[in-house]
Amino acid sequence: MRVVLEDVLLGRGGFYLRANGVFEEGVHLVSGRIGSGKSTLALTVAGVFPVREGRISREGVTTSLLTLQFPEHQVTTPTIGGEIASWGVEPVRVLGRVGPALDGARDPLTLSRGELKRLQLFSALAKRPDLLLMDEPFSSLDCRSRRELFSELGGRRGLVTIIFSHNTGPLPRIDRLWEIDGGTLVHLGSPPAAIRAWKAPPPYLKGLVARGIIPDNISMEDAEEAMWRI
Amino acid sequence: MISIRGLSHRVLRIPKLAIGEGYTSFIGPNGGGKTTLLRLCAGIELPERGDVTVNGGSPRSCEIGYVGEFPDRTLVFERVKDEIASPLRFRHCPCSVMEEQVEQVAAQLGIGELLQRRTRELSGGERVLVALAAALIVSPEILVLDEFDSHVDMETYEGALRGIADFEVPHVLHATHHMEIACQADMVIFMDEGRARYAGSPSEVFAALEGSCYQPFGWGVRA
Repeated sequence: MRVVLEDVLLGRGGFYLRANGVFEEGVHLVSGRIGSGKSTLALTVAGVFPVREGRISREGVTTSLLTLQFPEHQVTTPTIGGEIASWGVEPVRVLGRVGPALDGARDPLTLSRGELKRLQLFSALAKRPDLLLMDEPFSSLDCRSRRELFSELGGRRGLVTIIFSHNTGPLPRIDRLWEIDGGTLVHLGSPPAAIRAWKAPPPYLKGLVARGIIPDNISMEDAEEAMWRI
Repeated sequence: MISIRGLSHRVLRIPKLAIGEGYTSFIGPNGGGKTTLLRLCAGIELPERGDVTVNGGSPRSCEIGYVGEFPDRTLVFERVKDEIASPLRFRHCPCSVMEEQVEQVAAQLGIGELLQRRTRELSGGERVLVALAAALIVSPEILVLDEFDSHVDMETYEGALRGIADFEVPHVLHATHHMEIACQADMVIFMDEGRARYAGSPSEVFAALEGSCYQPFGWGVRA
């Protein structure tokens, strides 16, 4: 399965973005600064916004989900249990992953941002859609939650996962790296080679790259391993 | 100085904690009580038991700038310039003074080009910068940034930090999940299950957290 973007022009208001490329099976990271069009691209690939020009085709993709940057925008029910069920997954099992101590009858909007993000992400992952689009999935997550989530992403082999992030914090291992630069989506390729061409790597990679040390992949573990080469 | 004594409030149990002037980072697991403590320091909530004081007085008698973890929830106005002006408008500041101050704060934060935009059309990161401008326009004594850095890229964060420095805010309280950012603070407080488990300089707190995932990248090598 794959998602193909052919000469796509997308945008709203006075904002436009050009995108071309093929998202094959695997984990992709689309990196870019704030206001660069990451969310607009995610919403367009998800089919929420139409393309202005060109074509987006989903080959062999039968199910897809988008997790929004603001998890509170995605809340549709008054209880945590109901909210998990609204993703089409089994509430008791998923609640065990989100937070075993949480009361399923509680209002999801009383959760902290990080807890709400966990609810959104673990529900979407449990559904195992062919195409999973994640807009800033790691913001607000503590380091333990991030690790759990990274290992879940490793379990999505054979599926298409696209992460959109301004990447201030730690990132998971990925298969393909993309960057939005000057209104165009650019495919940088696979790590480690892609890391050299990356204009805005996360802080923990920046120092290494500046010294010409390129880790095997973009996770903090890879960066730590590479640091011992200094 | 922010002083906390005998505090028992929702999940929080803090017998004694003093936060000196400067930049303080709050770190720790999701649901550990960071936001609740910040709300008490800002006077948004009052403690069920115990005291939270700022220089001996109530936080409610201080000027507070608050950038919440859900920046969308505080947006009131349709246009960015009105949103940033809102704290001044609510206190009946003359229009000419207001406009001048809005332009000044926007310039200091490098968001002058956003002033004519509609708040609903802003990206997530731009929204949080607008919330920061609205918080700074009152020259707060306490500036609360609840996971501000979760919404912006590193370059934007560093630019905002330089902008904040211009305002000489006595207390900046910042909850963050980025240890590389937390370790640059004057004081770090590690919150877990409602307790302030560790509080002190970054080197003290990160030494106590050694072996956990709450470590800045390469901290052990640097130290």
